[in-house]
Amino acid sequence: MSDSPERKKYPAFFEWLTTGDHKKIGIMYLWFALFMALVGGGLAGAIRAQLASPDSGLMRPELYNMSISMHATLMIFFMIIPAWVGFGNYFVPLLIGARDMAFPRLNAFAFWLAVPAAVLILSSFLVVGGSIQTGWTAYPPLSLKAFSAGAGTDMWILGIIIAGTASVLAAINFIVTTANMRAPGMTWLKMPLFVWAWFVNATLILIATPVLSSALAMLLTDRLFGTTFLTVGSGGDPLLYQHLFWFYSHPAVYIMILPGFGVISHVVAAFSRKRVFGYRGMVTALALIGIIGYMVWAHHMFVSGIPAWLQVFFSYASMVIAVPTGIKVFSWLATIWGGTIRFSTPMKFALGFIGLFVLGGMSGIMLANVPIDYQVHDSYFVVAHFHYVLVGGSVMAILAATYYWFPKMSGRFLSEKLGTWIFWLIFVGINITFFPQHILGIQGMARRIFTYRPEFTALNRVSSFGYLFLLLGGLLLVWDLLRQAFFRKGSLPDDPWQVNDIQHTLDWAVASPPPEYNFEEIPVIK
Amino acid sequence: MKQRLFILSTALLAALACAGAHPGDITNWLQAPASTTAVEVRHSFFLTLILIAPFLLAAEGLLLFVIFRFRAKPGREPAKFHENTRLEIAWTVAPALVLIVIAVSTYKLIESINYSPASDIQVEVTGQRFFWKYTYPEYGLTISDEPLVVPENKVVTLLGTSVDVIHSWWVPALGIKKDVLPGRITEAWFKARRGTYKGQCAELCGPLHAEMLIDVKVVSEDEFKSWIRSKQAELAVPSAAAPADSSAAKPADSTGTATGRQ
Repeated sequence: MSDSPERKKYPAFFEWLTTGDHKKIGIMYLWFALFMALVGGGLAGAIRAQLASPDSGLMRPELYNMSISMHATLMIFFMIIPAWVGFGNYFVPLLIGARDMAFPRLNAFAFWLAVPAAVLILSSFLVVGGSIQTGWTAYPPLSLKAFSAGAGTDMWILGIIIAGTASVLAAINFIVTTANMRAPGMTWLKMPLFVWAWFVNATLILIATPVLSSALAMLLTDRLFGTTFLTVGSGGDPLLYQHLFWFYSHPAVYIMILPGFGVISHVVAAFSRKRVFGYRGMVTALALIGIIGYMVWAHHMFVSGIPAWLQVFFSYASMVIAVPTGIKVFSWLATIWGGTIRFSTPMKFALGFIGLFVLGGMSGIMLANVPIDYQVHDSYFVVAHFHYVLVGGSVMAILAATYYWFPKMSGRFLSEKLGTWIFWLIFVGINITFFPQHILGIQGMARRIFTYRPEFTALNRVSSFGYLFLLLGGLLLVWDLLRQAFFRKGSLPDDPWQVNDIQHTLDWAVASPPPEYNFEEIPVIK
Repeated sequence: MKQRLFILSTALLAALACAGAHPGDITNWLQAPASTTAVEVRHSFFLTLILIAPFLLAAEGLLLFVIFRFRAKPGREPAKFHENTRLEIAWTVAPALVLIVIAVSTYKLIESINYSPASDIQVEVTGQRFFWKYTYPEYGLTISDEPLVVPENKVVTLLGTSVDVIHSWWVPALGIKKDVLPGRITEAWFKARRGTYKGQCAELCGPLHAEMLIDVKVVSEDEFKSWIRSKQAELAVPSAAAPADSSAAKPADSTGTATGRQ
């Protein structure tokens, strides 16, 4: 990197602390997400250990409830979403031929808001009464002062509001950058799919997140200042919270998967050596998923007592999402069709993503069907469904992106040999851990319970056993990442995967890693 | 590769075998539906499964096919196509049609789950951390922390509420799950065959949520009547007085006076 002399005075640490460079901020987001994945994954281990037998007695019920709440919180708000913000930060400007994000300081500010939010939430374990015990949904009245007195709940609420603010700021930056800073000649319909995915995603964040923040603000003022937005008996209504909460948290599942859709398109095309099939269809599907994603939130509330006509509307709207999602899946398959596949690690993760995500989508259609949802709502079937979508989908896509773009970010490959092991451990681990949970749910095991009827023991043991695969795969990955990032030297060519003769994206047209400000001359797209 | 697939499929089959090892589990609404609603829901479940299975198989099958068919080999060039409007229309329209079938097939069932037919017996369900209270208004009877007892083949309407946080009354075999919320009354109904059914609270309600269990006994009409009578007697005793002698004497006394007056 060609630094100017006055910059050299500062130690590297200070350089990172004050940087406005979108690439450095992106990398910091990614390390942040990795750290949170370790904490959240550790909690998952504690949960599966507790559930390995019906009376393991490993955790007090209170601690168990804290663990499930914090596992979800960390994985959603501090792992998957920040990981995508990290990749977006690094690659959206590169892919559109820009030198940085539109607002570099705002970009840094957003990251440095997310860090104290995480500290605040994690430290809620240390206060009297411990952390939040209500599940990540924090439904009132359970989350009100009368039933969750501890300050841990207040810290959690504040932490989520701060993290939400950070992601809104990041989203504004993405929207402005994509709208205004594309290289000359890059029309909307020439933008790479990852950029499109992030643009739709940022729009979702911008519209949905403030709604969550207002719901949580109501909760906080009810708890601390005696307002009664949600307090029954003083005119408040707990269902109001559920509507507001899911108005954010349903789009949030797309916030966690849309950038993945983008990455998978890149990887699948690159390693089949073909252009993406049906580009316009893919863009339309992304936009449709974004729009319909807003019309389905009440499918989380079918059994809450909302009227039947609402259930019908939200049921049908939820099913409709399967259509654009199907378009994407079939387009990926058509992209591979006729190609010449190289099974490099990113491609393995991309193919694994398609296989697992399809299964998760199918159980999603079952859940959208109201009578079935009446049975399996809040059961392990739901747990299986969203883990297939979030681990089999989002996390597999994050891993595909990690393996695909690590050479660009560092100038070094991650180990292909280890990568193969990691892929199979995680792929097999996901299936052993989460597939049995479908059956548990159908048999009638409720979620968020620390003990269960003895009939459910065998399958729970299988599920807990699967966690070991995920743990081993995860630890191997962390080891390889640390080793390659800090202890190896290497310099790869601009296009180490040799994909740009087919793909023509600008990320592979600059050095690995890219210089400060990315492009000496802003490229012109023909 | 093939070995790994073999290991994976073995693991999945083993998991399925474990699942099948408990056919007697009576919380299972797929194998032993005990109410009219649960039977219909099971039909809907299998119909949905059958309708989406071709898409699942098509997607996963095509995925495996392309993985094995289109590996990079020396001398083979990748195809150049990247559009096919007809194909794209086909895979948009086909799932849409199937979803319409699924949607229409559920419409009546959604209605029937939500609106109780003429009710034979009403029970007021109150959720409270961490037990359930049942009131039979017609019989002036309230029981708590014990099984709900109802007659077989009767439309039982449940009117639920909560005194603290949100709970959810869930008995899988009966095809029922409904949240009970403070400040609101929610409704559910079932018409079940004889048997004992287990369930539990399905909405996280605090530390002992996992132990907020539900038991339902569906009995014959006669058994139900006699159960009601014995419960009424049992509950009437402590309300009269603590010493057993005086409580036994009191009704005898009043009968005596009545007879005396005649």
